[in-house]
Amino acid sequence: MLRWLAKRIIAAALVVFVVTSLVFVVTHIFTDPATVSLPLEATEEHRAQRRAALGLDRPLSTQYWDFVSGLVVGDLGESFWQSQPASKLVLERLPATLKLVAGATVVTVLLAAPLGMLAAWWERRFADHAVLGFSMAAISAPPFWIGYLLIIVFAVQLGWVPTFGSAGFVSLILPSLAIGLASAGRLSQMTRRGIVEELRKPYAVTALSRGFSRSYTIVHHTFRNVASGFVTMTGWELTRMFTGYTVVIEVVFAWPGVGRLAIHAIENRDLILVQAAVVVLATLVVVTNLLVDIARRMIDPRVDLA
Amino acid sequence: MTAVQDAGPGADAGGAEGAPPEGTSVMADLRSHLRKSKAGIAGIIICSLFALVAVVGPWLPFLPDPSKQSLPDKLTPPVGWGGTWSHPLGTDQLGRDILARLIDGARISLLVSVAAVIIAAVLGTALGLIAGYIGGRIDTLIISAADVQMAFPGVLAGLILVAAFGPSVWLVIIVISISSWMVFTRVGRGLVFTLKTTLFVEASELSGASSRRVMWRHLLPNLVSSLITLSVLELAAAILSESAFAFLGFGVQPPRSSWGLMIQQGRNYITDGWWIVTFAGLAISVVVLGVNLLSLWLQSFNDVAEREQIILERPGG
Repeated sequence: MLRWLAKRIIAAALVVFVVTSLVFVVTHIFTDPATVSLPLEATEEHRAQRRAALGLDRPLSTQYWDFVSGLVVGDLGESFWQSQPASKLVLERLPATLKLVAGATVVTVLLAAPLGMLAAWWERRFADHAVLGFSMAAISAPPFWIGYLLIIVFAVQLGWVPTFGSAGFVSLILPSLAIGLASAGRLSQMTRRGIVEELRKPYAVTALSRGFSRSYTIVHHTFRNVASGFVTMTGWELTRMFTGYTVVIEVVFAWPGVGRLAIHAIENRDLILVQAAVVVLATLVVVTNLLVDIARRMIDPRVDLA
Repeated sequence: MTAVQDAGPGADAGGAEGAPPEGTSVMADLRSHLRKSKAGIAGIIICSLFALVAVVGPWLPFLPDPSKQSLPDKLTPPVGWGGTWSHPLGTDQLGRDILARLIDGARISLLVSVAAVIIAAVLGTALGLIAGYIGGRIDTLIISAADVQMAFPGVLAGLILVAAFGPSVWLVIIVISISSWMVFTRVGRGLVFTLKTTLFVEASELSGASSRRVMWRHLLPNLVSSLITLSVLELAAAILSESAFAFLGFGVQPPRSSWGLMIQQGRNYITDGWWIVTFAGLAISVVVLGVNLLSLWLQSFNDVAEREQIILERPGG
């Protein structure tokens, strides 16, 4: 186990290293933060000045070394727009994003597990078709649109919840739903398929023929065997949330998270800050994948993940 | 996978799974299967309708100019909420006809997504073929690149590229295709692994065919049906990504319109013009639903349960 863990951690670190290096290639070789920060009509002289001020006139190898050694100690450069360390700005916003992802995960799991079980319980009956209908609708609608529909109905028309911002628990509900519905749509179908397959296996057939009810067998026998897949899928949904859904949903709900920070940084031509946000989000994705692997191995030691 | 064994050297379609009866072509098989599937019929109808609208949109006779502004008519509600048939779906904040703008937006939204999927499919399949057939270090390199790509999904690449180069339609096409190529690579590579050991591939190798000929003439035709199914699935994801990028302002710029952009522009009017956001999002949802139904049917036709697993559970996107 330890050996396996060490191997996985090294692999994850390697992926982070490659991804951040790719980011560096885009932000320092294809273009540079000084050029991006200046308007198109800026003179070459002005540009050179700005480059020198940001240390971008040094050899690329030196800059790359600074970038990598900065990463190791958590220094992601200085934000041009806010004149503050970029890592500080991103880390300040991180709790909001994590809260949003946590809320969305709760929504996903609370919807997907029961819906999946329900659909498997009434396989090929009305409930099964209804769950499939829900899943198809949820994965087909863009999450940001679901967000606006929720705002229109629950905040504007009914006035039950605040429209924007992050004032306490209530304001977390709509954005979490907007993100979680699509994930729940995918996850519930996966759960259903898993349980239906398990129910055909001898152990489940035995349980049923000994007189256990279908619902009891699903909850106590088959779901345990689907759990490892369920955890893996939930983890993958988490990575989707970190990298796609949160960015748009934070914009929709004016949620003060990392994604919205990145969008504002783009609007303010602050390449360093965008770079910092992307590096942090990509690292979160890699860490999530690592945690998923560990969790899966703990749930089901048979899984060989070498 | 059964088709693999049936197909002789150079057989052009691996589409008919499960040994079709003598004399039935793949198309006939497809048609008879379609008759049994309501989802397939619905998917095909929705997809063809949207494709048709995207193609002939500008020549539809009864539509007003999508960019014609008319401030006295601004924020006219749709029919049924106090509007008139001159603007069936109402107007936006500048008095432009929503229906005309939706039809105009269909062109850009669908064109970008289709182009991105085609690029991803061609590039990804080529890499998958090479990785699977040549193997060795090239395989390790390609598959590691695919793994890294999995950890660095499209939106993050989009953020950094837009920050570096500014928004453009081409950038969106590139970003969507780089977030999707590895799916084709992984599936293509997996299929090639199983095909490599079959008799007809060995036969062509023994008869002296070059690697390129084996890949191009013998392996690729057997991948086509699975890769088409995969492309349809990826198209649904691509349309959603395109709309998200357009919504964030990364893609087409006004006055051109796309569905995602309409939502971005209509979001300040959700209190007194809910129809702008609602109908634009509905257009996206319906077309994605159509594509999803189509892909569901294609998957049931050409049993790719294993591969579907890979796609459904793929992170990012």
